[in-house]
This record gives sequence, C-alpha cells and structure tokens, in this order.
Amino acid sequence: MMKKYIYKILFLASTVGTLVSCEVQEFNDLNNAEVDAFEENLTRGDLQDLVGGILYSSRVRLGTYYDDCGVIGREYYRFSGSEPRFTGDLLGREGLTLDNNTFYITGPWGARYRSVKNANLILGFIDGQDLSAQFTGAELSATKGFLKTFIAYELLLNLNLTDDNGIRLDVDDENDLGPFVSKSAALSGIRSILEEGANDLSNGGGEFPFILSTGFNGFNDPGSFLQVNNAISARVAAYQEDYSAVLSFLDDSFLTLDASALNTGIFHNFSLDQTDIVNPLFLAIEGLTAANARIVQPDFITDAEAGDQRLDDNVVELPEPIMQDDLSGNFAVFRYKTNVDDIPIIRNEELILLYAEANINSNPGETVNALNIIRGSAGLDPYTGPTDPASLTDEMLTQRRYSLYAEGHRWIDMRRFDRLDELPIDRPEDDVFSKFPIPLTENQ
Amino acid sequence: MKQNNFSHRYLLFLFLLFPFFAFSQTTLTGTVNNENGETVPFVNVIEKGTSNGTTTDVDGNFTIEVDELPAILVFSSLGFETQEFRAINRRPIEVTLGESAQALEEVVITGLATSIKRSNSANAVASLSAEEITGTTPPPTLDGALYGKFPGAIVNANSGAPGGGLSVKLRGATSIQGNTQPLYIIDGVYVDNSSIPAGLNTVSAASAGGSSSNQDNPTNRIADINPEDIANIEILKGASAAAIYGSRAAAGVVIITTKRGKAGETKFRFSQSVGWNEAINLLGVRDYTEQRVLDSFGEADRAAFVAARNAGRLVDYEEEVYGENGIISISNFSMSGGSEKTKFFAGVTHNNEDGIVKNTGYEKTSLRLNLDHSPEDFLKFTLSSNYIYSSSDRGFFNNDNSGTTIGIALTATRPWDQLFPNENGIYPDHPNNSSNPLQTRDLVTNRETVNRLIMGGTVNLDIYKADNSNLELILRGGLDFYGQQTRAIFPKELQFQKLSNGGLNGVSAQGDTQNKNYNLSAFLVHNYFTDSDINFRTQFGLTRENFNQNTQLITATGLVASESNVDQAANTGVNQARLLQEDSGFFAQEEINFKDMFIATVGIRGDKSSNNGDANELFYYPKASLAVNLNEFDFWDEGSAWNQFKLRAAYGEAGNFPPFSALFTSYNAFSTDGILGISLIGVRGDADLKSERQKELEFGTDIGFFNGRVNLSATYYIKTIDDLILQANLEPSSGYTTGFRNAGSLENKGIEIGLNTTPILTDDIQWNLGVNFFKNTSEITELTVAPFNVGAFGASLGTFRIEEGKSATQIVGSYPEGLRVIGNAEPDFQMGFNSDLRYKDFQFTMLWQWKNGGDNVNLTTLLTDLNRTSHDYDEFGADPSGELPNGQYRPGAPPEVHVEDASYVRLREVGLYYTLQKKKLAGILGGSIDSIKFGVSGTNVLNFFDYNSYDPEVSNFGGGSIFTGVDVLPFPSSKRFLFNVSVNF
Repeated sequence: MMKKYIYKILFLASTVGTLVSCEVQEFNDLNNAEVDAFEENLTRGDLQDLVGGILYSSRVRLGTYYDDCGVIGREYYRFSGSEPRFTGDLLGREGLTLDNNTFYITGPWGARYRSVKNANLILGFIDGQDLSAQFTGAELSATKGFLKTFIAYELLLNLNLTDDNGIRLDVDDENDLGPFVSKSAALSGIRSILEEGANDLSNGGGEFPFILSTGFNGFNDPGSFLQVNNAISARVAAYQEDYSAVLSFLDDSFLTLDASALNTGIFHNFSLDQTDIVNPLFLAIEGLTAANARIVQPDFITDAEAGDQRLDDNVVELPEPIMQDDLSGNFAVFRYKTNVDDIPIIRNEELILLYAEANINSNPGETVNALNIIRGSAGLDPYTGPTDPASLTDEMLTQRRYSLYAEGHRWIDMRRFDRLDELPIDRPEDDVFSKFPIPLTENQ
Repeated sequence: MKQNNFSHRYLLFLFLLFPFFAFSQTTLTGTVNNENGETVPFVNVIEKGTSNGTTTDVDGNFTIEVDELPAILVFSSLGFETQEFRAINRRPIEVTLGESAQALEEVVITGLATSIKRSNSANAVASLSAEEITGTTPPPTLDGALYGKFPGAIVNANSGAPGGGLSVKLRGATSIQGNTQPLYIIDGVYVDNSSIPAGLNTVSAASAGGSSSNQDNPTNRIADINPEDIANIEILKGASAAAIYGSRAAAGVVIITTKRGKAGETKFRFSQSVGWNEAINLLGVRDYTEQRVLDSFGEADRAAFVAARNAGRLVDYEEEVYGENGIISISNFSMSGGSEKTKFFAGVTHNNEDGIVKNTGYEKTSLRLNLDHSPEDFLKFTLSSNYIYSSSDRGFFNNDNSGTTIGIALTATRPWDQLFPNENGIYPDHPNNSSNPLQTRDLVTNRETVNRLIMGGTVNLDIYKADNSNLELILRGGLDFYGQQTRAIFPKELQFQKLSNGGLNGVSAQGDTQNKNYNLSAFLVHNYFTDSDINFRTQFGLTRENFNQNTQLITATGLVASESNVDQAANTGVNQARLLQEDSGFFAQEEINFKDMFIATVGIRGDKSSNNGDANELFYYPKASLAVNLNEFDFWDEGSAWNQFKLRAAYGEAGNFPPFSALFTSYNAFSTDGILGISLIGVRGDADLKSERQKELEFGTDIGFFNGRVNLSATYYIKTIDDLILQANLEPSSGYTTGFRNAGSLENKGIEIGLNTTPILTDDIQWNLGVNFFKNTSEITELTVAPFNVGAFGASLGTFRIEEGKSATQIVGSYPEGLRVIGNAEPDFQMGFNSDLRYKDFQFTMLWQWKNGGDNVNLTTLLTDLNRTSHDYDEFGADPSGELPNGQYRPGAPPEVHVEDASYVRLREVGLYYTLQKKKLAGILGGSIDSIKFGVSGTNVLNFFDYNSYDPEVSNFGGGSIFTGVDVLPFPSSKRFLFNVSVNF
C-alpha cells in the first residue's frame, strides 16, 4: 500500500521537478516592433513601414504648431475651456511670458524631433548593412533623398518656433547630441541637408522603393520629388534673404505661374481610421462655443480688400460673437471644411509669392505679375500701387497674409521683415513674442 | 486529529490509573471552553514532552498531576486548534479552544512550505483572522477589509465606484515607477491583481494632454476574492520577511488561507446581509443670488435663474446624480465537515450592490470547494478551488479633456439648467457643456465582467519519520485563470456623440482579456531534533511561475442604428497587448531553535526570469533573522506578570521587476490615409535594465504581560531600494522624451507599534482593545538623472517631484522664483483603534482609523471654480489678502492653493450583534440550530475630515504607483449600512 503511494508521488515529483528545472525563455517585445529588429536584414516591406512612419510622425502635434504661429501672428484666437494658456501665455497677457516647459513648445518640438529620429534611424539601417540583395543603389539613394528632405523640413518647423534661440542640427546619435546652433547656422545647415537630399534624389532613378499617401500625388517619384525638395530650399533661402538662390531653387521646383495651379504641391493626409489622426485644425461650426474654437482676429476681416474671395475660403461669420478672456470675434476660422481635409506641406501659391518676393529688388515687374496672378485668383483687380521695394514688400506681405492664412506663415513673415510691432494688440498689456524658449528638458 | 485518537485516550486512561508512580507532584485543575463560552468535553490534556495526560469530563473540567512547575500543557481535541498553556502556579486554568480554521493566529509563515509559532517569529508579520476580516461587517472587497487593522499599510480607495479599485502599500514607497502593490498568494496560488482599462480614453481624451497614465479607473482584480471564504490573512510587509518570495516580493506579500473542513458533524452556515449605501459627503450648490448669476454667467442666465427660482424649478443636480441609496444584498451559504480521511468546505456567496449613482453597481457570485484527503497517515492531499463571476457597472467618471464625464459635466451645470428628458425620453443638449450628465448617466454603459477560476493543490508526503528526525515532501501547484470583458458603450444619441456636435456617432469599446498564471513548486522539509535541545529544520525547494496575459481592445466608432457590436460601425480600431513572463527559482533555508530561547534562520532564494535583461542569470535574495525569547531563559522569574519578552532582528532582500516593456526600444504602428507606418514610441528602453533590489532590516520586540492580557509589539525598519527604475526625461531632440534606467536609491524608515489589551475579562464581559501606530518617512538618497516631475498635471497645479535628498512623495509647485515644496503625500502617521466588547451574548465592535497628514492635489475645486459653480465660490478664506472670494481667487492662484491636507478620522467598521445560543433554540427545529447571530453593522459610518472635495481618499490615476491623492472629480465615496443574520446549524 505504502509502496504504491510512494511510487505515485515520486512520479509526480519527478514530473514537477522536470518542469521546474527547465530553462527560462527569453522574449522580445511582444507588442511592438523593436528598433533592433531592422538593424540586420531590412526588407522592402520593412522600408515601406518605416517610411510610412514618417508620413505619420510628421503630422503629430501639427495642430499645436499652427496654433502657436496663428495665435502669436494674430491670425486668430484659440479659445479652449480647459486650456487658458492659449489666450494667456501666447498673447502675453499682463506680464505672462512663454514658458519653456509647456505643451505649446514641448509638444511640437518633441514631435518634430521624433520624426527626425524616425528618419535618421532609417538612414542608419541603410548605411549599416549590405542591402544589395533587396534594393538597387538608385532605390537606396532615392530613399535617402526623400528622408533628408523630410529631416530638413521638420528641423525648419522647429527653427520657426525658436528662431534666434536656435536648434540642434546634429541629432543622429541620441547619446551624443550635437550642440545648439544659431539661427543662421541652422538655416545654412538645413539648406545643406536639402542639397544633399537633392543630390541623392537626382541619383535616385525612376521609382521610390515605397509608396506614399495621396497627398504626394504628382511628386511620388524621385524626379518629381526633387522639385519639392527645391521648393523647400527656396523657402529656406528666402528666410536667409538669399534671393538669387530663391530664384534658382524655384527654377528647379514645381513653380507654375498659373492661378489654376495654386494648390499643386504636397500635403499631409488625414483619415478617420482608428490608427490615423484627423485634421487637428478642423472644428465644426455648428455648436461652436468658447470651450473649443478658433476665432478670427477681427483685423483680418476689416483689413481685407472688398471682394477678396479668400475670406470666403477661410472664415465663416457666426450668428453671435464668441468671447473668452476679454477677446471676442464673430468670425470663425474655417480653413479646412472636414476633419479629413489635407494640410499643405508646401504648395504652388506660396512658390508664386516667393517668386514675387525674390524679384522685388531685381525685377519688380515680375513681382507685380506674380502678385497679380494671386490677386486675380482671389477676385481682386490687378495691383496699381507704386512699385518701389517698400510698397511691393507691403503688398507681397498682404497677399501672403490672405493667401496663406492659418498655414503658419504670418508670424514668421512679419518677424523676418522686422514688423512684429505692426501686429495688432487686442488687450492693452498684451505682448507679441518673437520666439519660443528652448524646452527645459534640452538642459540648455 | 488522527485516527489513533482512541488508542491515545485509552493509554491516557491507563496512565491515570497509576498516579502513585509520580513523586512530589503538583495537581492542576481547570476548565476548557470553546469560543462561545461553552465547555468542551473529552479534550486531551497532555503534559508536553511527556506521556502524562488526561481528558476533560463532560463539563469540560480536568485535573492533572505534573512533576514540577512550570509545566506546559497541550490541549487538543477534534475540530479545535491545538493549544498550549504554560502553567506556572496552581491557580485553576481556563483554556479557550478556537475552532481550527479560526485559530491560525498562533503561527506565521517563515518558509515557502513552513510556518513557525508566532512567539518564535523574528518578523513583525501581521495576521488577520476571519473574525477580523468579516466579523464586524461584511467588507465591500477583500482589500477593503485591510484598513486600519494592522500597522504598516496604507490602503487607499481610488474612488467610490462600486466593485473596488484600491491600492495597498506596505511600509512606504517601495518603487517610484515600478510595481508598488503586494503579491497576493491564495492557498499557494499566485493571484493576478491587474487593473485593465476599458478604453474610455477614446471618449474622455483624459490622456490627450500628454499624461499617459491610465485614468479609466478600473477595478483591481483582487476584488474578485470573496472575503467570506477567508480563514486567515498574513501580511509580509517587506523584504526581511518576504525574501523567500524573491524577485516579486519587494512590495510585500499577502498570503491568504481559505477556510477548510473539519472532521466531524457536518456544519452549515447561512448568512444574509441587507442594507444600503449612500454618499459620504456631497459638496452642495453655490449660494446663487441674482447679482452673482449676472456677474458670473450674464443676463440670459440671470433671467433663467429668476424664472426657475420663481417656479421652484431649481435643481440640485449633484443630489440628483449622487443622491441614490444603493441597495446591498450579500448572501452566503457554506457547509463543512467530513471524516478523518476526507474533509470538505463548500461555500457560495452572492453579492448584489447598487451604487449611489443610477446604473452603477456590482454583482458577484463566488463558489468554493476545498477538499482535504488523507489516504494514509503519512500522506495528505489538499485541493482549493474557486469560481468567481463578477460584474461591475462603474459609470463614467474622473478626469477628461472633452467635457463628457459625469463629474466634469456636473461642474458646468447650473441649477436652472433643464437637463431632464421630455415625455418622449429625449434629453436636451446641455446649454453650457458638451454633455448632459443625466443622459450620460442613463445611457452610457461601462461594465467589467469577469469569469475566473482559481485552483490550487498540494501533496504532503512524510517520506521518513522517526523520533529525532523526519523528512517531508511537499508538492504544490496553482492556477489562476480568468477572462475579463470590458464594455464601454456610448450610444450615438448622446449629446457628445452626435455628429452635428462634432461627435463620433457612437462608440463601442470592447475589451477581452485572457489571463492565465500558473505556479509549480516542490519542497523538502527536514526536521532534526537533538538531545541537547537544539532543533534544526532544513528546507529546500524549486519554484516556477508562468504569467500570460493577452488583452484585445476593439474600439468602434460611428455605430449603426442602436447596434453595439463592433462590426456594426463605420470605423474600427484594434489594440492588442500581451504580457508573458516565466520565472524559475530555488530556495533553501535553515532554521535553528535552541529551547525556544534562540531561534535563528538563514535562507536564500535564487531567481531567474524572462523579464531580466539576461533571462538565465540567477539573482540571489538572502535573508537572516534571529529571535531571542528572554522569557525562556532560566533567570526569568516565571511568576512575574511579565510573561513574554522577545527581541528580534531580521534582514532580507527582495526584487521588483522592471515594467514589461522597459527592456525594449520599439515602434508603434499607425496609419496615414490607409498607409501603414511605424513611428517610435518615444520611450527608450534599456536592455540591460536590472530589477530593483530592496534591502530591509527590521528589529523589534514583543512583550506580554498578565498572561497575554497586554501585548505590545514594536518594530523599527530601515528599507533601502537600490537600482531604482526610473523613466527619466531625455532631451526631446534625441527623438525620445523619456528613457528607462536604473538611476537611484530610495530609503524608507519607519516604526510600527501594536498594542493589544484585554482590559476587562469577567464571566459576562470581555473587552478587547487594540491600538496600532505606523509612521514612515521616505527619502531619495541617490538620483543619477536630473530631478523630474511625475504623477500629476504639472508644476503650476502642484506635482510630485523626484529629487535627491527629498521625500519620494514631495509635492512641488512652480513660482516665479522657481519650484517650491508645497506638500507631501506621505501621512505623518496613521493609527487604528479596534474595540471588541462582549457582554453575555451581545457583541459591539468598532474600528477607527486615523490618518494624520499627507497632502492631496485637489483639482476638483479648480474645475468647479473655472465653471463658477463651486459650493464655496462666494465665500472667503482661500485668498490670504482676503480680497477675492474663493472661486475667483483659486483658478489663478499659486499652486499651493490646490494642495490640501488629506487627513481623516473614520469609523471604518462598526457592528452590534446578538447571538442566540443553542440552549435558547432548543425548541426550534428539534434543536438542530447551533446559534443564530443577528445585528446591524456599517462601513465608513462616521467620517471626519476638513477637505474641500468628496473624500480625501482618492486617486485619479488609479492605484498602480505611489502617486495617489490626485483628485479630479471622482466617483464620490459611500458609506454602507447593513442588517445581518447568520445561522449555524
């Protein structure tokens, strides 16, 4: 009897013992793809997903970026029931200043550098392994050109916020970040990244080894994307006031001096897919309350020339004014009509205006021509004012104000022409800030 | 008792026939009673270490001759816990035997497979009996029964939502960003205590502002365990006691033993509790006047206010939402019994509770079957099995960024707003807010449903048994399996779901979690008794644990008609999270006992885990302890009133795993207009991350006077946690916002004092009074990353901050000159008072808990101020200059205005019972009823606090971290009143 039990128990014990003594298994990240996974054996499918990630990450916190530029540039007010800092800090109400550890700078700043990191990691994967079995040299070159163009564009958006405070240009090695560089060094750095990208794209053959979203239609092969690269370079050169370079970049860009092609360019796409994001700048007009609204700064309406169709495109009159924090307006921003509308990265209307700007001193006739294309498209009569550089600059800035409304240009334009003091002050103690501080966690 | 009972008795009887063999003998007399005061016949009374013995007569009296005093008598009887009594003089002896399931207090766990007499333990292990857990009043959940009953724990409810949601923290801050909840083990089974969010964030957007913490406020799964089933809980509060549990034990271990059957007559017990709960504290309505309404809300509202006032239509919406009396019903039936070989305990409990908000509530059914089978003397099988069904409707509360939760919506609601549905059941849109709280309350579903099976089995085999040594083999296995469904359904007719209001046209978030944990272990225990009175106990064991959890959350938006199925929707998103961990280890321990004078223990646990950077590296966790019973020494005056004096010291180490994802730097998958893409998560992992290591040294003393009428236990501990795992800030230009690293050390020092007394003990009256005191202070002793803020909503509103040389739970605020410390969440001290007064068949018990100090970040007030609806909006006091009324001052005020003292004093539990004993029930049902107990009881009946929100006990971010006490419009807490009847037959 006893023996029987002992045998049974010993059998059970040995079973348990076997189970207990075996090795512990090591697991990877069960829920997400690890960065390490791509360091060896990058496939075409992987590259598609990684580039798709750039399309995603370049849109994160864009709403905050545009609100930063739009509110400080006095294009519109951002009313929010749960966020008083839009009408406080950003407008410099009663001694308030821009904080270095608040969402309006930390959010977009971190998101742009995240996107840069996504791109730098792909560049590292490409350079760190022999991919000749998977990709042709031209495909890899095209990919690098695409990525460098995006890196430059993302860096430029951050520089637009911090301006004279500068940015970090060299962020490839997360353990050894490059220094903060001045605005002028940053601009020339960005321009040379773009030029490297242009070089890669020109050696990029006929096809990208990945597909892009519909916002890139017309510019989704290395050759046409090179035109986008040059368009962005033209913007950078304008910021550098290097107008001859602007013209030569525009020459190689998709600039078309044609009022019917104002919206040629590349765009961010949005969708209602659960893993996608919606257009952050869209707010329905029905049911709009001060709890969540973008209200047009009233001067934008009153300063407009009679019959300017761009008002109809961009704003909607409200039945009664919406007010918050001693600010009020009866027009709401309606730049985007649905929550899946595209947001432009760069488009022909800006290029025409850059062309006009670059010709002000050298060729004022071309400036007037270009401005008249814009005016015509808005239903306005041709420009009849004086053609001295100061007058043309005024007119060019006005057309930029209305053509590129709520696209993040007004504040930067007024800043580069030293005209921030001309922006309207809505409350006596308000301030117009010229730049954001560097985020606290950069430890500067 | 074993089946040789009768032969024993026979032998004893023979011995009694020959008393003349003894010389210079002392005669001891006494009586043995059970806990109900009835005498117990036929109890074996043996002089310890001899074969001298007797049994009690039919009236429970006995007489025994012993050679000399002092003598130790051992009392044992079928169905009762064996008890020893140390006779030091000839006074008549009174012994009360406890029924075995309820009398486990005398032993405490020291090894994975063994326990030790409490009087020999070197650790301050707290233990709670069934009487302490459920005796005063049925607790809402198991962890809710731990409040104030022993020193060393901070128990905090996250909100008042039905179905639980509590955190238990033992001996201070055990981790900054890792696990701080103790390990729960029930009958040897590692039990999961996850909190699985229901996906409410899709609607509330609570974490949209960058706060990635889960604010869904789910239940923690230990709430499934039925308190009525529990015989005993032991709490190993830190590494010095818990080192044998190794790499999961840093936050302490709660060891739960369930009730088991006893051989003998089959016993039945039925109990029913019925009652209600109601809100502890409602804030009230602002004192509106025409002028105030005009100033705050404008002319249109003034007119509406006047019209509603004149028509008597002003509504207290807070009362409307939170003013329900939720009905509670708890039914419990159990039976136990069996033969010498096979014993069983079977129980079923059904709880049904409504919350203080309509459409909230909690329902639970628990079935238990525990079996013990001993086919032979040397062999014993035990099986514990428990099936649980639970369902909780938790409503839609806590923080949001979309104005949709009920609490947030109420802050925007004014008494003259008309929110009630019309005769067709159509709810009006809220005039000042994106949601109508009455509509949200009535139409939103937020339900967690769990089906759970917990099974554990043990085999004990005495391989070898002799006079001076024995060897036992113990095999143990446990399984915890559950499926949890979460259903968060927001129908499209809700104000904030309407497309015209920018809504998603209905949201259905359905989550399914499968959780399977199993653990296996094998132990050998060897006891060796020497002639020189040194006893050795050696044990060795192997352990293996496996954890597997898989959660799939499907979020559908744009629902078709009134469908809630996730395929009947315009857009569907799926999220899957898996968790897999394998641990394997061994342990060895040696215990040396010299005449109960010195008890020394040394042990080591070695653990490896898939959750370490190197899965097959063994990490070692040593322990050592020494207890010295001075009262056992020869010099001790046996006759003195001071009868216990123990000094003890214990040291141990334990681990705490990194969060599961902390080892990896990974991408998340997204899409852009249909194109898949992967983008960095933004948190940099560290593949070389080490587990946190806790080292705890505790020492203390246990002192007893007057035969146990006064017992004092005092413990001081120093606990350091090295290799703190921190998710520290990185420069955002690196592409990452935070990164995991081992970056610091944390120290806790604390003192625990427990005093148990029996001031009155007569035939009719017995009064037990217990007091416990607990104080802990923490300090970050080393931090190798820059100080950082964590756990709240930013420094302008008051936030926690991790900083070297400072308390781990300090609260700072931002001021023009920089950050300033404005509070600390850690209480100054905590005390519990329990009183148990029995007069004849009446029993009155009370448990008071006092938490003194400890601050909260109260943003409930701020949010009501912003909407100008605060109950004290027009009062003065917050503004030190006295210029502005509170409601105007607070929103723009410096952060200290949001930091409030969260002290409280509560009557946690109170009960008044009367027991009808068997003799009075003799005429009923042929005398088959043993006793009937009935009475009234309550939970949180009296609450004293000076705190400007619903309850100072709150946590917007749940119970997972040490950063509780952030108050953002929670589900208000409630008090419970119950009528109870129980029948034993």
